[in-house]
Amino acid sequence: MQALEKLRDRIIQRVNINLRELGFDVTPYMHELTPIKQMVKFYAFYGITPHHPLNFQFTHSNLAGSYFLGRCRVTNSLLYKSDIRGDELKKEGSVFQFQQFEIPINRDEHIDIEDSFLIKTLVHNYSHDPETLEKFFIKDTISMHYANIHGSPSDGCFLGPFSTVDLTTMHDCVVGTFSYIQAGEISHIKVDPGTVWIRSSDKFNFLYRYEKNHLDNYINFTAGNRPKGPLFDFVEDRKKDFEQIFAMVNIDPPRSVPGSASLDRYAVIKPHTNISENVLVAQRAYLQNSWLGKGANAQENCYIINSRLEGFDITAHGGKIIEADLGKKVFVGFNSFLRGRPDARLTVGKESIIMPHTIIDISDPLTIPPNHIVWGLVRNKHDLETSSMPLSDFSAIEKKFSLGNMIFEGSGASFVSALQHRIEHILEANGAFFNGAENKGHAQKNQSISFNTIQPYPMGKLKGLYPSIIIQP
Amino acid sequence: MNNFIVKDLMVPLSEYATVQEGSTLFEAVLALEKIQEEFDREHAPYQHRAVLILNRNKKVIGKLSQLGVLRAILPQNERNQQIEDISRFGFSAGLTNSLREKNRLEEGILNDIYKKAVLMKVEDYMQTLSEGEYVDENTSLDTAIYQLVTGTHLSLIVTRRDEIIGLLRMSDVFAAVFHAMKSGELTE
Repeated sequence: MQALEKLRDRIIQRVNINLRELGFDVTPYMHELTPIKQMVKFYAFYGITPHHPLNFQFTHSNLAGSYFLGRCRVTNSLLYKSDIRGDELKKEGSVFQFQQFEIPINRDEHIDIEDSFLIKTLVHNYSHDPETLEKFFIKDTISMHYANIHGSPSDGCFLGPFSTVDLTTMHDCVVGTFSYIQAGEISHIKVDPGTVWIRSSDKFNFLYRYEKNHLDNYINFTAGNRPKGPLFDFVEDRKKDFEQIFAMVNIDPPRSVPGSASLDRYAVIKPHTNISENVLVAQRAYLQNSWLGKGANAQENCYIINSRLEGFDITAHGGKIIEADLGKKVFVGFNSFLRGRPDARLTVGKESIIMPHTIIDISDPLTIPPNHIVWGLVRNKHDLETSSMPLSDFSAIEKKFSLGNMIFEGSGASFVSALQHRIEHILEANGAFFNGAENKGHAQKNQSISFNTIQPYPMGKLKGLYPSIIIQP
Repeated sequence: MNNFIVKDLMVPLSEYATVQEGSTLFEAVLALEKIQEEFDREHAPYQHRAVLILNRNKKVIGKLSQLGVLRAILPQNERNQQIEDISRFGFSAGLTNSLREKNRLEEGILNDIYKKAVLMKVEDYMQTLSEGEYVDENTSLDTAIYQLVTGTHLSLIVTRRDEIIGLLRMSDVFAAVFHAMKSGELTE
C-alpha cells in the first residue's frame, strides 16, 4: 500500500500549500478518511458511446469504483467511487458565448484531474471559465463524500461532504459541509458549512445560511471523523444495494422501460417503480416504489422513494425525495433532502423550485403551492412561511429583500428567469422533450453505451495503483 | 517643519490616561473622562482620545481608543457576526446597513451598556502595539508623519531607548502642519 500512501501524502502536501493562507490543514481529514484498504478492492469502469469523443488517460492513480465518460485525464490522483461524467463537455467547432465575446472552441474539451483526491464526488457539466474553455481542470483539490463539482474548475481547494460548487472557478478555497456556491469565480475564501450562495455579479446575489445547531441535526463533519447525521446515514444505509449492482457483470434491463427512456445499469431500481417515456435515470440513482412521469429525471446520487413525480421533474445531482408527490415540472436542486413520512406526505405544486441544498423534513403533512420557490430548512408550516415565496412575488423584488436567514440583493426577476431558463436547459439536455425523432438528449443518447472495467495492481510495490492506460478510438 | 522633532510635540506619558491591566472597560472610560477634565485646553486644543493599558511593571502593553470602546460594546452574537460577514459575499454597504437597522430594532445595541462595561476587561479589547507604532523621541517630524500615514495610526508611542515617555498624536501633528502652512502663506 506504500504507493497509495505516498500518493496520498503528496496530495495532502500540495493542497496544504495552497490553503496555508486560510490556515486550513487537510491532514486530519485525509488520514482518517482515505479508505486505502478499500481502494484495492474495487474496479473502475468507463463508458463508450458513439455520441461522446473518447480519450481516457490514467497515470499513477487509483480509480477505485469510479466511473468515466467522455474525455478525461487523471494524473497522480486518488478517485474513490467518484463519477467523472464528461457527457456535456464542449465540442470542437462550437462557440462559447461570454458577455459580448463569442469564443470558438478549437478542440474537444477534456476533464483534467491532477494531484487530487475525490471521494464519492460527482464531476459533471463543462468549464464555464472563459480563460480555460477546453480544459476543465481539477488540480490540488480534495473533495469529500457526495460533493458535486459541476462546471467548476478548481485549483487548491477543499470541499466538505455534500458540498456543491456550480459554474464557479475556484482558487485556494475551503467550501464547508453542505454548502452550495454558484458565484462565477471565488478565490482565497473559506465558506462556512451550510452556506447557499448564488451570485451573478451585475444582476443578483442570494445568500442563505443554515444555523449551525440546525445543520448539525442533519450533517456534521469535523476533522478526524467521518461525516455524521441522518443525511449521511440515509445514504450509507443503502450502500449494500449498490454493491450488489456493481458486483454483477450483466444486468437485464426491466422490460417495462420505454424505448425513449434511459435507465443506467448502475442505478438501483427497487420494486414497483414506474419509468415513463423520456425519463433519464443516471448511475448511482436509487428508485424505490416511485412513479417517474414523462420527461422526469433522476441524476447521480439521487434517491426517490415512495414518491410520485408527475412529469418533467428534475431531481438534480444528490437530490433525495421520500414520501412526496411532485406536480409537473418541479425542480429539486442539488443535494436537497425532501423527507415526508408515510402518514405525513409532502406535496409540491407544479413548477415550483426547490433551491439547491434545501432540507424539507416534516412530521405533519405539508403542501407547497404551485409556482413557489423554497429554500433553507423547512420542518413545518411555520418554517415554510419564512423559507418560501410565490415566484411572482420573488420576481417583483427590485433592489433588496430579506426573509428569515435569506438575504437577496438585485433583480428578483433576473434571478427567477435565470433559474427557469436553466430548468428548461436541463430538461432539453436530458432529452425530456424528445418526440421520437427530434430533441434527443442524454435519455436517448446514453442508451447505446457499453462499459469496460479496469483494475489496479493487486500486489507488489505498485499495489493499489492502476497501470498507466491510454484509451482512444 | 524641518526643525521639529517628535519630542517637541509629544504628550508626556504622565499627562495621558492610563489604567492597569485587569481594569474594566468602565474604569478605562472613567480614566479618560478624568484626564479630559484636567486637560489644559489653552495650550493643547485637542482632547485625548485613548487610554493606555499598563502592566504590573508600568510598561505600556496596549492602547484602547474611543473606536475600541465602541467596538467592544457592539453585541457579539451569531446574528451580528453573520451580518458583518456578508460583505465577503459581495453585498452592498446599503444592504448591510439595512440589516443592521432591522437587527437594532429587534435587539438594540445599547441595552444594558453599563452592565456590559463593568464586566469587560480592557486587555480583551485593547489594541496591542505593532513595531511600526513606536518612534524615537529624536526622530524628525517629517519622518514621523510618514510613519503615521503609511501605518494609518492615530498616534505613535514615543520612546527614549527602552522606555516609553509619551505619545505623538495625529491631531497635534496636524495642528503643527496647519500652523506651518499658515506661516508660509503669511511669508509669501
